[in-house]
Amino acid sequence: MTDTVNTVGADEAVRRRYDVVIVGGGWSGSLIAKELGDLGWNVLILEAGNGGTETWPGYLDSLATFHSAVAKVPNSAYRRSVAAPFPDVLDLAPVPNPEPGEPEFTANGYFVQNGRLPYGTDYLRELGGAAMHWLGAVPRMHPEDFATERYGYGRSWPIDAAELQPWYARAEFEIGVAGNADDQRAIEVVTDPDYVYPMHQIPASYIDRYCEGLNGTHIPDDVTGDTYELHVRSLPQARNSTPNPDYSPVPYRPESAVGLPNYGERCVGNASCVPICPVQAKSHPLRQQARFAKTVSLATRCVATRVRLAGPTRGGRVSGVEFRTYTDPASPVGRSYVVEADLVVLAAHAVENARLLLFSGLANGSDQVGRNLMDHPTILNWALADEARGPVGPFRGPGHTSGWEAFRFGEGRSKRAPFRIEIGNWGWGWATGAPMSNVATSLGIGGDESGEVRRDGVFGPELRRLLGSTIGRQLQLQIAVEQSANPGNRVTIDRRYRDAMGNLRPVITYDLDQHTRDGLFAARKVAQKIFGHLGATDHTDHAPRNGVPPLGHFVHTLDGETLDLAYSGAGHGAGTHIMGSSAATSVVDGYQRTWEHPNLYAVGCGSMPSIGTSNPTITMLALALRSAEQIHRDLLLDRRPADLHGTAGGTTDTEVPA
Amino acid sequence: MSVPAVTKEVEDFVGLCVPLTGFAAFDLYATGMAERYLETARQQVGAAAFAEFRAAWTGAAAQRGPRDLSPTHLEVARAITYLWLTGAWPRLAPAAHAALRRQMANEEFVVTPEAYVEGLVWRTFHGHPAGAKPPGFGTWAVPPPPQPSTVALRQDLGLDEESVCRTGLTAEVALDAVPVHLLPGYRASRAIPPSAVPTAALRSDAPEEHA
Repeated sequence: MTDTVNTVGADEAVRRRYDVVIVGGGWSGSLIAKELGDLGWNVLILEAGNGGTETWPGYLDSLATFHSAVAKVPNSAYRRSVAAPFPDVLDLAPVPNPEPGEPEFTANGYFVQNGRLPYGTDYLRELGGAAMHWLGAVPRMHPEDFATERYGYGRSWPIDAAELQPWYARAEFEIGVAGNADDQRAIEVVTDPDYVYPMHQIPASYIDRYCEGLNGTHIPDDVTGDTYELHVRSLPQARNSTPNPDYSPVPYRPESAVGLPNYGERCVGNASCVPICPVQAKSHPLRQQARFAKTVSLATRCVATRVRLAGPTRGGRVSGVEFRTYTDPASPVGRSYVVEADLVVLAAHAVENARLLLFSGLANGSDQVGRNLMDHPTILNWALADEARGPVGPFRGPGHTSGWEAFRFGEGRSKRAPFRIEIGNWGWGWATGAPMSNVATSLGIGGDESGEVRRDGVFGPELRRLLGSTIGRQLQLQIAVEQSANPGNRVTIDRRYRDAMGNLRPVITYDLDQHTRDGLFAARKVAQKIFGHLGATDHTDHAPRNGVPPLGHFVHTLDGETLDLAYSGAGHGAGTHIMGSSAATSVVDGYQRTWEHPNLYAVGCGSMPSIGTSNPTITMLALALRSAEQIHRDLLLDRRPADLHGTAGGTTDTEVPA
Repeated sequence: MSVPAVTKEVEDFVGLCVPLTGFAAFDLYATGMAERYLETARQQVGAAAFAEFRAAWTGAAAQRGPRDLSPTHLEVARAITYLWLTGAWPRLAPAAHAALRRQMANEEFVVTPEAYVEGLVWRTFHGHPAGAKPPGFGTWAVPPPPQPSTVALRQDLGLDEESVCRTGLTAEVALDAVPVHLLPGYRASRAIPPSAVPTAALRSDAPEEHA
């Protein structure tokens, strides 16, 4: 890797005018900046968070931060920032013995939450954004997922899967994806019969192979009344693997770590993709940044506060971005700046984009800004495999390498939300804090319910043997359920709630509708049946313990059966400025350009009207590349003398012929 | 035979930790953490109380094992074992925390980044610490080797068959019917440290292991 990224301070940054200013140095912002820079446009990225991880010593510092964290959550490799705060899963706490009908949680972090249920998703304001802690799972969305209105729920896209196919392929090249195209063709998410991924699939885990024993098994779903055939399918991942020589036009060359050449060119199985890949075999946007053309500048510790509207005669056009800088993340004392540009791209995360649009008072003629907040509510299921069949080898390899896909598609989704079953490779880690918590409960440490020292426990050889068995047999199925657009799930702002820089904090209102709850219910029942077929002992239990309901807990009754269920956030924040075919009902058009402001784009998962059951990053990046091309066309059009007067008239001429 | 490069005190500490952890002195030294763990334990328990614990455990280890320890000393023995296995000092039972009259907060903490990496729990199931000591591309596809038996582990450590290494439980845990109170339950929130995760609950529909 090279070190060409052109980092500038705020004073230097505002000394000139740019073709494009991008708010946010994460996945979308970095990809768009790279595309536009390669075409010769002058681009500035304003990143609110700290840099540092683009150097090798800085990256190792993040790794040590992760190693020393007690709670190894997605943000545990990164330090909290007062100047550019971000939500953390640790911000949420359950309420013991909650009153019936009252929220069972409190939120004590960046988000103010006033919904019935917790929004359990985090992100990161740091150079590279939440992509610094993502897993790297990149399944494409299914054609059905773009048009759920046909199944009687959600919001449909103004574009379809066929339109996105070439952009998916480009995104998979840009970030470096390893996958098995045949597996994806079998479920109709890849349609090109000749397509291969840049790299061969990441090898399936032994746990995947263990589960392959159920291939061909039919699992009834009581909620839909249908039966689904199990087939283990590999997961496409943005992780360095073995290059596929058949990839065209030329074989792919895996990219190495930023700041350390010829390192990390293949996954070595650190089994810590989230929160940090120690060798950087997992793709992240700092790679794109290292390849920026000289016309791209990057400024960190620049917190955007507002997008400025140009004069009233300018047809709704925006003129630039106000931002504040800080020197010390712990005690922000900064200066205020304005930078001007022909075009502004908000790429700051779904929640941050909405917050900025709301505070700027822009793009909200449809009243949809901040609404339709989504995530993939994820229900965890855990079991011990059959002792007689020996250990399954958990806590090895990437977080998950295969899944069961059949429940994602079909008419059944009209009856309950569809779901994707991830076969977990990291034991009960997410559900119970294993393997450390296994040590604690096997020893009997921590006291009983009244605080007295527990009686039962084991030591020495019996402890080793017990841990070897009870950790070595851990199976976990993480089931991500589709959540559809609901205008009541939303981000708002409230002048009473500000961060240390004076910016308004996001106020989140969140709940799960019946369709989603039915999906979680069905997912739990399906997992039970799968564990039964595996001969595994199901230990899943989401009921309150000692009066303490787990986060995301709710009780759900369907067909006379009542279950305690709980979901976790997946980190897939989406839907706060959704795209549509009409300015009356959506915030951005199919190119992620705001309807009301022809030179303001809002990009990222916030533009998605639905997210299916696919981890949204690869769809987000396909959209980003498509937007970059449109931005290029917009900028060219602006420079044609014939159009100098045309763009002042309003929003009618913003549809540019392709 | 004394071990070069460590003090007699560290050597004694390691010797006392062999029957607690189930790992040989060789493995304990190889973590490079012995001295740091001794200091951590002494600091967390308090010098005087730690000396009392050492005397009590020295006696118990030679006799009937951990069941002879007082509840507070039993909790200290568990904490030291937890330290070796995870690299973190755990949250103690509140009763033991109070009995030790500890000044510091009763919170779990990772001793150093290196301590996490040297945790021995990963070796109990042929694993490696997440985010360190990677085993190499594709290794996760290989079936893990079988577990050694308790008898073999005892023999390796030179522990006689009479020495009992459990408290409360009357017999060695049957691995195809592990009592749920020895397993972790669901974490109500991710902020709950591993040592404070509740045990799995006994339920009316409690899972029966397939024997």
